[in-house]
Amino acid sequence: MSLSVTRLTWINVAKDLRLEWRSRDVLNSMLFFSLLVVVIFSFSFSPTAEESRRFVGGLVWTAFLFSTIMALNQSWARELRNGVLDAYRVSPAPPEALFFGKCIGNFLLVLLLECLMSPLFVLFYNLRSIGPYWQLAVIFLLGTWALVVNGTFFAAMSIRTRNRELMLPLLLLPISIPAVVAMVTATTDVLTGELSAVSQMKFLAGYCVIFTTACFLLFETVLNAE
Amino acid sequence: MKSPIFFVLLIITLGLLAWGTYQAIMVAPAEATMGDAQRIFYYHVPAATAASFLFWGNFLASIWYLWKRSPVADALAVAGAEVGVVFFGVVLISGPIWARYAWGTFWVWDARLTTSLVLWLLYVSYLVLRSSSEAGSTSVMAAALAVFAALDMPIVYMSNRWFRTSHPQPMIGTPNLNPEMQHVLLWNMLAFCMFALLIAWFRFELERASQKINALHIQKATQSTMAMTIAPVMLFFVDEKLLHEQMVQHRFMVAGYIAVWTIYIGYLLFLMNKLAKLRKEEAALNVENHVASRSSYV
Repeated sequence: MSLSVTRLTWINVAKDLRLEWRSRDVLNSMLFFSLLVVVIFSFSFSPTAEESRRFVGGLVWTAFLFSTIMALNQSWARELRNGVLDAYRVSPAPPEALFFGKCIGNFLLVLLLECLMSPLFVLFYNLRSIGPYWQLAVIFLLGTWALVVNGTFFAAMSIRTRNRELMLPLLLLPISIPAVVAMVTATTDVLTGELSAVSQMKFLAGYCVIFTTACFLLFETVLNAE
Repeated sequence: MKSPIFFVLLIITLGLLAWGTYQAIMVAPAEATMGDAQRIFYYHVPAATAASFLFWGNFLASIWYLWKRSPVADALAVAGAEVGVVFFGVVLISGPIWARYAWGTFWVWDARLTTSLVLWLLYVSYLVLRSSSEAGSTSVMAAALAVFAALDMPIVYMSNRWFRTSHPQPMIGTPNLNPEMQHVLLWNMLAFCMFALLIAWFRFELERASQKINALHIQKATQSTMAMTIAPVMLFFVDEKLLHEQMVQHRFMVAGYIAVWTIYIGYLLFLMNKLAKLRKEEAALNVENHVASRSSYV
């Protein structure tokens, strides 16, 4: 029986999403966590609409970044139970399918979170975009992919270490800083409408391409590290 | 330490460090506006250059490791990353001391400073990963992370040219740099690069020793540590005299020297401590050591 990589990838995505849909553990905790971030920051700063336009870019991405880390840790921890990961390693299935399956699954999950949370940000912070708002969609797609692709890779790495969940932010955050800076700057640029976000978007796209390639090339090595 | 080349290099490096520091403090002309505070330049820039070489070394060794799985490459990667973090730490400490005088503030979030800090954090995370991953998988995962960290390097270098930044632009070989200053800078660059190379070499030998827990290696490595601490001590004598001067610029210069050499010496002490631990371990494993040296661990 031979399955193409694409087909296997989609089987992995479907499996992850089905599991998530049945338990909804990760999505619920992510949603609640970002809701708390929104509320707590709103209390701590009580900003006006003008002020919030300037810092909400950073706030949105901070909330999403940390909720993404929660999701990523869970996504691999699930595979450790019952030795699923080891079973995958001995199977002839290409590891890239597993990696991209996880990636796309996480990507969709985080996108869903962003779609549910964004209206709340708009509501609580009284936001209105001055720049071209459609650019926000592109920024969120690129930014989420940038976080998720590296995050999935480093989560696979960190579950192999002694302190598991603790390790992921330590590895992921330094690598992601350039991307986070670009996402936040681009989001702020669009919201305030003062500068064009196009160069930041190009930077993000480049970042995504570079690190997706790196993950693709190195995942098999990390998966089989003994 | 096996090689007599190491000792020859050690003596040359000590000479160069003394000569470079003498040149930086006594010979190089005082800068028009910043005076002596500008002399931080003579070890800030060389430390950055040395750190970049070490990080490149780490990257190449990691690639080599991923390709051949050679423990030698792994030891090289550790040495590159760890000594690189120390030298880059020096850059990040001495920079703000200068900036406090020149810009009036320790830190600004401009492109160059931010990306340098990110680079440093990346290699710290590399060391954290090494220290907390389970034996066996450490080397492979660390090598993979090193490749990711190295991908960040071009972003650091580009950022200096793409973005507007208040950090001075690279100026070796440009008319902006006084030829006399350039002369002194190049001497210091040579001295600090060799210093970095030697420490990295020492760290590499230490890693090999810990890989093998081999009595002979440890015995020989000890001799060089003692000699290497002489250089920092010597430089503190220079600082001692200057401490009595009340000039502000002088104080910045001295603060820079003290901060930087505290880091270097601290790191050397750390390495010596590690060495002592290895020796203890070696003594405990005396019986197995026998077997280990004959085992297939190459």
